[in-house]
Amino acid sequence: YICIFFKCTLNYLFPQVKMNVGVAHSEVNPNTRVMNSRGIWLTYALGVGMLHIVLLSIPFFSVPVVWTLTNVIHNLGMYVFLHAVKGTPFETPDQGKARLLTHWEQLDYGVQFTSSRKFFTISPIILYFLASFYTKYDPAHFIINTASLLSVLIPKLPQLHGVRIFGINKY
Amino acid sequence: MVQAFYEAPAYHLILEGFLILWIVRLLFSKTYKLQERSDLTEKEKEELIEDWQPEPLVPLVSKDHSAPKYDIVSGPTSHKIILNGKECINFASFNFLGLLDNERVKNKALTSLRKYGVGTCGPRGFYGTFDVHLELEERLAKFMRTEEAIIYSYGFATIASAIPAYSKRGDIVFVDEAACFSIQKGLQASRSNIKYFKHNDMDDLERLLKELETEDQENPRKARVTRRFIVVEGLYINSGDICPLPELVQLKYKYKVRILLEESLSFGVLGEHGRGVTEHFGVNIDDIDLISANMENSLASIGGFCCGRSFVIDHQRLSGQGYCFSASLPPMLAAAAIEALNIMEEDIDIFRLLQDKCKHIHNALQGICGLKVVGESISPAFHLQLEKSTGSRELDIRLLRGIIDYCVNRQIALTQAHYLDKEERFLPPPSIRVVVTIEQTEEELEKAASLIKEAAQHIFQQSIF
Repeated sequence: YICIFFKCTLNYLFPQVKMNVGVAHSEVNPNTRVMNSRGIWLTYALGVGMLHIVLLSIPFFSVPVVWTLTNVIHNLGMYVFLHAVKGTPFETPDQGKARLLTHWEQLDYGVQFTSSRKFFTISPIILYFLASFYTKYDPAHFIINTASLLSVLIPKLPQLHGVRIFGINKY
Repeated sequence: MVQAFYEAPAYHLILEGFLILWIVRLLFSKTYKLQERSDLTEKEKEELIEDWQPEPLVPLVSKDHSAPKYDIVSGPTSHKIILNGKECINFASFNFLGLLDNERVKNKALTSLRKYGVGTCGPRGFYGTFDVHLELEERLAKFMRTEEAIIYSYGFATIASAIPAYSKRGDIVFVDEAACFSIQKGLQASRSNIKYFKHNDMDDLERLLKELETEDQENPRKARVTRRFIVVEGLYINSGDICPLPELVQLKYKYKVRILLEESLSFGVLGEHGRGVTEHFGVNIDDIDLISANMENSLASIGGFCCGRSFVIDHQRLSGQGYCFSASLPPMLAAAAIEALNIMEEDIDIFRLLQDKCKHIHNALQGICGLKVVGESISPAFHLQLEKSTGSRELDIRLLRGIIDYCVNRQIALTQAHYLDKEERFLPPPSIRVVVTIEQTEEELEKAASLIKEAAQHIFQQSIF
């Protein structure tokens, strides 16, 4: 991931030949591996940090509000991209095996308790701890933050793999 | 700030404690990895080796099994064919318009050979696209009056790549039972739900469509993401029948299904200008979603093409497995196909002539005792099946082989329709496939018909004793 970033800058500095060296892979569904790729955890953490800084720079919001907003927006984004959107944005050679699976269900071909699954389970909890601390454990913020945390933690349970409650989002 | 921590409500702290426990559990439990290889212990390996019963690499076949005995053709295959050393009139090759031996086509192919060489050594995306390919695609699209066409380098792979490009897991395909083997392989590759309907039976198809409709009403969300297709052939190679296209188009609009039409036999045969079964029935070509045909019959080249709307055909440029991952069509074959198209466009009487010859021989072959003619009267490739099967497929094949040998010895080359017996879904009965081409004269057709009659009498008399 970082190699590709550096390669892009090098292409601007040395614009001679563009060769996709080392890009070919035989992975049937790249969605299963993307969260294990090099540098993606760091990118994700920096992304959340960037979101927080942007929200902090808005003058109308106080610090507790900003933390709650960071938490809520992060969890909303995580829910949409990992637990709501199904299938792949590209065609896979397996004739659409993952068409009805969310990204979380596709990770590592459904193997539970892998390192990226653990990382992405722990990261919203860390964010929640930080948000609780900076909102001074205020009850109103507590309700919002806890609800948002639960919405993003419960779908990650292995018992809920492939489960669609009330048939929502099934097809 | 830290003071707020001391004044925090209890429920909040309890929840945070619970979450910390959860994190600790996650951090210290075993981390699973995607298993790259399965490591078996030595004992397990020994056990598996003990259990294994080797099957023969090649299954045992009886000595007089017909498959390994080939009829060898020496010399060019055209109107006359030298079969096993005997010169015969060719009633077996799918050379409907006689373009296999056409001087113009051969000259064009030779010029192209001198210009481009023999092969392309690359798929279309990897320096394998030549100007002749683009020209052939344009010409075919213009000829069939569709927006775009795409060329494949192998006729069998054309429909077998086209079907899985559109139909995926969870989609539903309605297929005729008499669909040819390449369609069956395409359906197998697509991993979709296949529903077979009886051959040319529109009522059966409508019944299946109605069942699907009731299922859809029960589960509309599933129905919204399910694609449906009907796959039919214009002229069936296994039975010589024409599909009822106007009824199919009606069913298409009534039940919202897409039609994939396989026109390998009907391209260059049916219709006033040879455009296939859509022209034959006067159906608007935009009503058919995809037409697929192979160029190995009327066009006397190799390969196949699909044509339809740009929106549909463009998808195959990245999803058609046979297009992306096979070397492209050799340019001399593409040039030969272009010249063959030129001939087809110049002289439109040949289609009428071919249909008349078909009708002629169809009539002449009626009333043979023991054999029945299976196929439409205007189909240039029809079957002669045994009126009453002996009960054993091998014996039937042997009887038909006897008829063919009789004919070949008297200079009429015929062939049996060969199938992969174990792989076919609905194995057709053994038959002799007679092919009418435009180069056969009336006398030759008469000779063939009378010879087949004689052969049938001879063989059936022999078999009675």
